[in-house]
Amino acid sequence: MADAKKLAEQLKKLNELRGPVPQALRDRVAAQNKAQKAILDALKAGPKTAPELAAAAGLPQDKTLWHVAALRKYGKLADVPGKGDYPKYELKGGDAK
Amino acid sequence: MKTLEKIEVDALVVGSGIAGLQSALDLADQGYTVAIVEKNPSIGGKMISLSKVFPTLDCASCITTPRMASVSHHPRIQALTYSTVDGIKREGKTFTASVTRKPRYIDEKECISCKRCEEVCPVYLPDEYEQGMGAKKTISIPFTNAIPQYPVMHPEHCIRCGACARACPKDCLEFLQEPAPVEIKAKAVILATGYETTPMTAKKQYGMGALPNVISPMAAERLLAPHGPYGRVLRPSDGMVPGSIAYVQCAGSRDKSIGIPYCSRVCCMYAIKQAILLSGSLPIADITIYYMDIRAFGKGYEQFYNNARAMGINFVKAKVARITEDDKHNPIVRIEKQEGTSAPEEVKHELVVLSQGLVPACDGTKFNLGVGNNDFGFVQLSDETSSSAVTAGTGVFAAGTVKGPRDIPDSVVDAGAAAMEAAAYIRRL
Ligand SMILES: Cc1cc2nc3c(=O)[nH]c(=O)nc-3n(C[C@H](O)[C@H](O)[C@H](O)COP(=O)(O)OP(=O)(O)OC[C@H]3O[C@@H](n4cnc5c(N)ncnc54)[C@H](O)[C@@H]3O)c2cc1C
Ligand code: SF4
Ligand code: SF4
Repeated sequence: MADAKKLAEQLKKLNELRGPVPQALRDRVAAQNKAQKAILDALKAGPKTAPELAAAAGLPQDKTLWHVAALRKYGKLADVPGKGDYPKYELKGGDAK
Repeated sequence: MKTLEKIEVDALVVGSGIAGLQSALDLADQGYTVAIVEKNPSIGGKMISLSKVFPTLDCASCITTPRMASVSHHPRIQALTYSTVDGIKREGKTFTASVTRKPRYIDEKECISCKRCEEVCPVYLPDEYEQGMGAKKTISIPFTNAIPQYPVMHPEHCIRCGACARACPKDCLEFLQEPAPVEIKAKAVILATGYETTPMTAKKQYGMGALPNVISPMAAERLLAPHGPYGRVLRPSDGMVPGSIAYVQCAGSRDKSIGIPYCSRVCCMYAIKQAILLSGSLPIADITIYYMDIRAFGKGYEQFYNNARAMGINFVKAKVARITEDDKHNPIVRIEKQEGTSAPEEVKHELVVLSQGLVPACDGTKFNLGVGNNDFGFVQLSDETSSSAVTAGTGVFAAGTVKGPRDIPDSVVDAGAAAMEAAAYIRRL
């Protein structure tokens, strides 16, 4: 565990050296968080395919699939076993209610 | 800048694909000391990201990982990853390479590869290991079987939240880390910098990489890999299981219009391999290969091709003039058949793979060691009839695809030749 004071100093020094975190990066992370939340919220109602998630979250289908792959890799959602043209995804572990 | 780290070895190997790994192991097993420098965060080159290999269909990482482990544990090999070779100077009988270790922003001596930093990092990025189809974080371990298992942090994508540093049990994060210079002295150099595939933008008739369901063969390898980005074969535009898949052969080879007149030697075979694997994981899918002629020249390769035909893979002798898409992102392939009716036809598929060619990854002449290139930018051998590794630069040898397109068995064989030539040269010094 990092020493809080040492960490704060390092981050402060970094701001001095590199300038503040660019707004474009902050905006990108905000959009990412919003998209992920929308996808996870949509799954609370039950399993969905990538196009269904895209429609529910108001996102393009390819971007939705990328977020699904990301959330899947980091253990937030899982594949629903089964056949069909479009696989379905569901919330994983403690998140699934 | 940190103080200069100095390394002295018998041989320097540049590039750690299967060819570089094999050369390093062969030299080290004979008693020579080796430094191997790799620009990526992990050793292993292209082979470690392949799904399975033709013609045996052995798992690629099951073959590569043990070699990677042997290199990283060998007492006579030092592997420098995430490092660039900035220059190599010849001084009498020794070479002096200036190398820079790029900062990973962690303390490698302390890191226990627990991945906690990656778990908590809130910024997701496209993962180039998955050809952009999957995600990684701003700080992440490159891939599951990467060697070494150290995370790399990308400061340009860091929001400086400090979550990684607070989560790390070993207090490894070093946000202020700087590049570290290394000087490597060696008696011989082996160039094993490998290949890249022709870019998606090479041929404007094929959509310039803007059609989401027209993908590279490396992306197809990842779709087929057991731990690929989606965990199964799906198409990138909408996550559908594709029911109709086409391969466009020579998409970036044997094409004077893009300056690549040669045959890339492996594309026919990897396309057939991927088609066989696809028909295994998607038994009801239609798979078509549009080809000019099939070049299956190695041991067991013709049989492999015949097996693919027998499995129902559709081989169509046709030139692909253009690829467009419909409103559902289904690729529309315009073909001109070379047999039977030759009127142009438009065929709809759900996923298309461009069988791209191989081009050199690194210009071997840039180190000014007397090494020459052939007409296509690959390293030229001084006399192919007498040696498959000797270049025009004294003490400089070449291994693998740095000399031109070849498959894995050939890369391994001539990596052995390069090691042997280098050893003989060092002994004569
Ligand atoms: C889609 C696809 C599928 C394939 N499938 C098969 C198959 O099934 N069977 C088969 O036999 N062959 C297959 N091949 C061919 C196979 O990938 C190559 O034969 C083999 O990987 C070549 O290994 P290499 O070590 O020469 O090159 P690479 O794997 O390219 O290794 C070169 C290494 O050098 C590093 N490097 C480059 N420049 C520098 C630099 N300046 N400084 C430091 N490091 C540098 C690179 O990062 C890389 O790690 C396939 C090829 C493709 C494109
Ligand atoms: S400080 Fe940067 S790398 Fe670390 S968790 Fe935050 S965004 Fe990720
Ligand atoms: S949390 Fe620390 S010890 Fe664990 S992988 Fe990250 S840097 Fe290494």
